[in-house]
Amino acid sequence: MTATLEYSRYEFQGNDELCLRVGGHHAKSILLIPPLFDEMNRMRRMLVDVMRLLDTNGIGSALPDLPGTNESLFRQEHASLAVWRQALTECSHILPECKHIASFRGGCLIDDFADDLPKWRLSPAKGNALLRTMMRTRMASDKEAGLSTNMVQLTDEAQQGAVNLAGNRISASMFSELQDAVPALSDDVRTAQLETSAHKGDIKLPGSALWLRAEPDEDLLLSGAIATDLASWILS
Amino acid sequence: MIALGKRRCPGIGGLLMSENLDLTPEAAVRAVMQDILGLDAEQVAAFTPDTELFGALPELDSMAVAGLLTELEDRLDIMIEDDEVDGELFETFGNLVAFAEMKAVE
Repeated sequence: MTATLEYSRYEFQGNDELCLRVGGHHAKSILLIPPLFDEMNRMRRMLVDVMRLLDTNGIGSALPDLPGTNESLFRQEHASLAVWRQALTECSHILPECKHIASFRGGCLIDDFADDLPKWRLSPAKGNALLRTMMRTRMASDKEAGLSTNMVQLTDEAQQGAVNLAGNRISASMFSELQDAVPALSDDVRTAQLETSAHKGDIKLPGSALWLRAEPDEDLLLSGAIATDLASWILS
Repeated sequence: MIALGKRRCPGIGGLLMSENLDLTPEAAVRAVMQDILGLDAEQVAAFTPDTELFGALPELDSMAVAGLLTELEDRLDIMIEDDEVDGELFETFGNLVAFAEMKAVE
C-alpha cells in the first residue's frame, strides 16, 4: 500500500476546505463521506487504508473534511447536517469523476446531497443514536466533575443556542436535525453491515466496529473487505 | 440464539434501520461487548454472570459505556432512561444481562 496521498481544496463559504485524494489519475473514482463527530477520528486510519487498497484496484477516491472538522476554519457551532450537505455539493463540483458515493455510519445521514449517484453505506447510524451517545458522554464527564446533568437539561441547553457534547459545539439546528435524522431512502443503495451486527444488509463484512472502541485503531480485515466489495460494486 | 424472520419490512429503496434480526438480550449484550472491547466471539462467550466489567476492563471507560448503552437501545429496540443507569449496572456481566432482559420485556 504505497499509494501517494494528496490534498485537494474546495471552497465553502469563503474558506478553503481540504479533501484527501488517492489515485486521482484513475478513470473511476469514489467520494467517501466520513463518520460524524468522534467516530470519524476512530475510523480515519481505516478509511485511509481503504483508499490505498482501492488505488491498487485501479480506483481513485476522495475523502473531504466536513466544515468545522479537522483543519477546517469553519466554526463548529455553525455546522449542521444541512451545511454539510451543501459543502459536499460544493466538493463534488471539483470531483466530477466521482460517480459513486460510499458513506460510513453518520455520514449516511448526509449522502443524500446527490440524489442521482449510487450509494454504498457501512453500518448506517441514526442521528438520535449519535446524539444520545454524545449526551451520555457529557453526562459521564459531568458526573466525574461532581455535577449532575440529564438529557432533558442538555436538550434545553441546546435550544438556548449551542451545547458542548463530548468536545463538540452542537448548535440548536444541528441538535434538532440529529434528533430526527435517518439515512434517506434511495433506489440505488447497497448496505454493508458487520458480521456481528443484528441489522440486515446486502452484505456482511468481517472485522470490528472501530467506531465503538475507546481508542482509534486500524483493522485491515475490515478495510480489505470494504475495498474488495467497493471495487466489485463500482466495476460491476 | 437468533430468531430469524421477524420484523421483515418491504425492501423499498434499500434496507430500513428497524429491519434487525431479533437477538436475545444476553446475545445482544455479548455482541456489544465483543465490538466495544475488540474481542473475538470465543473470548466473549467465556463471560459468566460473575465476570467483572467496569473497573476490571480498561477498555470499558465512561465513553465506551455511553456507546454501549446506545448500542443496546439500537439492538434491543428499547430506550434506557438516565435514572436507570448507575454504577451497579456495570459491575458484572450478569447485572448488565439482567438489566437488558428486564428492559426487553417492558
